[in-house]
Amino acid sequence: MILPLKALFRKGGTVPAILAIALLVAILASIASVVNHVNSQTENLSKLRGTGETFLLMSNNSTSMTNSKVSTQLIQILNENDDVKYILPQKIFTATMITASNNLTVLVTGVNTITFFQVRHTYVNGSFANGMQANVGEILARIASIHKGDRITITSEDKEVTLEIAGIIQTRAQSDTELIVPMNVINLLNQDNDKVSIIEFAVKSNRNEEISHLSELLPADVKIVATQQTQTLVQDLNNQTLYFLSLWSIPVYIVVVATAYIIATRLTIESSYELTMLKALGAKRTQTFELILIVTIIITSAGTILGISIGLTGAQIISIIIQWAWKGIEVAPFLEIQQTTQIILFASASSLLGCIYPAVKATRKTYAEVQL
Amino acid sequence: MKIIGFNYLQKQHFLTLTIILILASALFSITALGFISIYRSLNNYLGEGENIITIYDRKSRTPFTGLVPTYLAERINSINGVLASSPEVVMPCIVKGKSIFLRGVVPDELYQLNPLTILEGETLQLNDTNSAMVGKSLSNELNLVPNDKIIVLGALSEQYIELEIKGIYESNTALDDEVIAPLYVGQWLRKTDYGHVTLIRVKIDRSKVSPSQIYETLVQEAETPTPSPSNETKPSPLQQMIPFSRATYTPENLGVKETQEFMKTYLDRYGMTRETLLILSAAVFIFATATIFASSHTLIRQHKPEITVLRSLGASAKTLKLDLVIKAIPLSVAASLAGMLIATVALLILQEVGQPQVLSHRVQFQPDLLLLALNTILVTLIVVLAIIRSTKRLDKD
Repeated sequence: MILPLKALFRKGGTVPAILAIALLVAILASIASVVNHVNSQTENLSKLRGTGETFLLMSNNSTSMTNSKVSTQLIQILNENDDVKYILPQKIFTATMITASNNLTVLVTGVNTITFFQVRHTYVNGSFANGMQANVGEILARIASIHKGDRITITSEDKEVTLEIAGIIQTRAQSDTELIVPMNVINLLNQDNDKVSIIEFAVKSNRNEEISHLSELLPADVKIVATQQTQTLVQDLNNQTLYFLSLWSIPVYIVVVATAYIIATRLTIESSYELTMLKALGAKRTQTFELILIVTIIITSAGTILGISIGLTGAQIISIIIQWAWKGIEVAPFLEIQQTTQIILFASASSLLGCIYPAVKATRKTYAEVQL
Repeated sequence: MKIIGFNYLQKQHFLTLTIILILASALFSITALGFISIYRSLNNYLGEGENIITIYDRKSRTPFTGLVPTYLAERINSINGVLASSPEVVMPCIVKGKSIFLRGVVPDELYQLNPLTILEGETLQLNDTNSAMVGKSLSNELNLVPNDKIIVLGALSEQYIELEIKGIYESNTALDDEVIAPLYVGQWLRKTDYGHVTLIRVKIDRSKVSPSQIYETLVQEAETPTPSPSNETKPSPLQQMIPFSRATYTPENLGVKETQEFMKTYLDRYGMTRETLLILSAAVFIFATATIFASSHTLIRQHKPEITVLRSLGASAKTLKLDLVIKAIPLSVAASLAGMLIATVALLILQEVGQPQVLSHRVQFQPDLLLLALNTILVTLIVVLAIIRSTKRLDKD
């Protein structure tokens, strides 16, 4: 087997064939390495941004806060944890608000008002609600023409309470369009006092460790939701780029199939003398087939490895030029090991696919067709 | 020009070269069309046309992180020739586990810049607290219908907001992949005060006012002293709903540009120009040319007996070269067109299924005439060069 292989490799087409595959693979390797750099930069930037310390406990099957229900017993679990900064249970529901001039559907949030206003860094025109009082968000107050001292009625599930507006609040959050009511008042409207909609809490340190520890203590029907999801954003955006890259690599691999076909065809044409001689010496059809297959695979494997090197080196050289031309821009292209393996495997598979037909055709050739 | 009168080239062998050319051309077209479409989609992200301009923060590193005083939107609206002035806060956020963009707007102003067709539900108004509208593509992807409730989680700040879907709209622009909410919802996500927005988009009548005149007004406005509380005028309609006052600013930090130019400024800053993308695509094609060379060489080798016979009958090497080139040119033109067509169809099919996405927005693919010309020229040129080189080598052999 070694001698015929040597004979086929001595043909002039070997080097151009390796180069053809190498250049195609270089395209994949260089673009993938640059995309990797961009994605890693995005991830680094997201780390600088911080990931937040506030979380929500919600029922697992809920799609909104208003239809979520979690047990108030969970407050105890959180309370027992030293790393929890604050706990803010909230009952959130939609109600009809009746004022002197308006009837509006509004979001009502029942909370411990002292904790709520502390954690929200609230600006208040008036005072914080206590007893049969409510605070109204500034935007809602403007829309519904509500003023401090006004009396409003809130109706929910055939029950109603009349409250005095203790103050207009501004939190620069959704509370600015809500009615904030002490929890004991909300419990008059909603009898289910063992349940709240959500429990907001914040952790002091070791965020990931703390959250995974907490999730082990919680019942299965409760989920923990981070209120800042920078990581999800970054992963999503990076996945979109990687998906585009995978789609784009499909036509490159198709061209690799075609190139392998051309390499194998050229090999059979240029080596017709050697192949005919082998047949004359008694080589079986399968041996000729295997020979062409092996030569093509060796050529494409060499081309793939060379291509990855060319691609990476090319991307590095371009990066150095970019850094030199545009000061302040740093580009460090790299390939992950699994990406390198993937490129080698896919390129080899494509090559194999491309060389099968010419190899089969070569085995069917008769002496008469060959010029000696 | 002499063309050899009989057909000595075998169709089957010529077909192989054609397929290679089609594939190489399709690869170039997919790369170039993909890159150029991404570039164009980003450029048109905030709107198209000369009559839409943007007032933005020149210091900002991205189009989404600048801060411009909200009250300027109302000030600009009072200039003769300004048809609409839309203050906007565009922020990434997470809905149903997917990253999306939410645009906080003054709905009536936005509708004048981007006419929306309401497909389901109702139109959003500024006083629709805790409500939002969703673009058609996004609503399909997230399976949202009117009256559904969504939780919007902050991507860059700690925020959680519950919104009820009021309507589904279609605009045939990038807005179809976004959630539109009242201005203040965007400001909560941006963690800014009500006195600032990301940018202000303005629709102008070019015959009455120009971007430079608007900038001059902004300069004059900055120099006007802030009225004392006792002299303050009656709150504007927007101020009656959103609590903000006049914020101070440095006019040099504000930019006034056509919207497409504004986006182009940011893309250029990161070296993403139409020219660099075309060069990159051409580089991909050049890398694939080794295959075309190999294929042309194989074609010539496959016809070695015929070429040898023709040479022995007296055909000169020049005549043969010329004949092969003339026969290959229509083939390469047809192959490049076919490649471009295949690439366009493949990309349009992808677009139909909502892929690919860049910055959570679908990329809109459009055929490009310059690309078509570049593709045809490159393919033809490479084929001609490859055939000349191969016949030369055959002669040497």
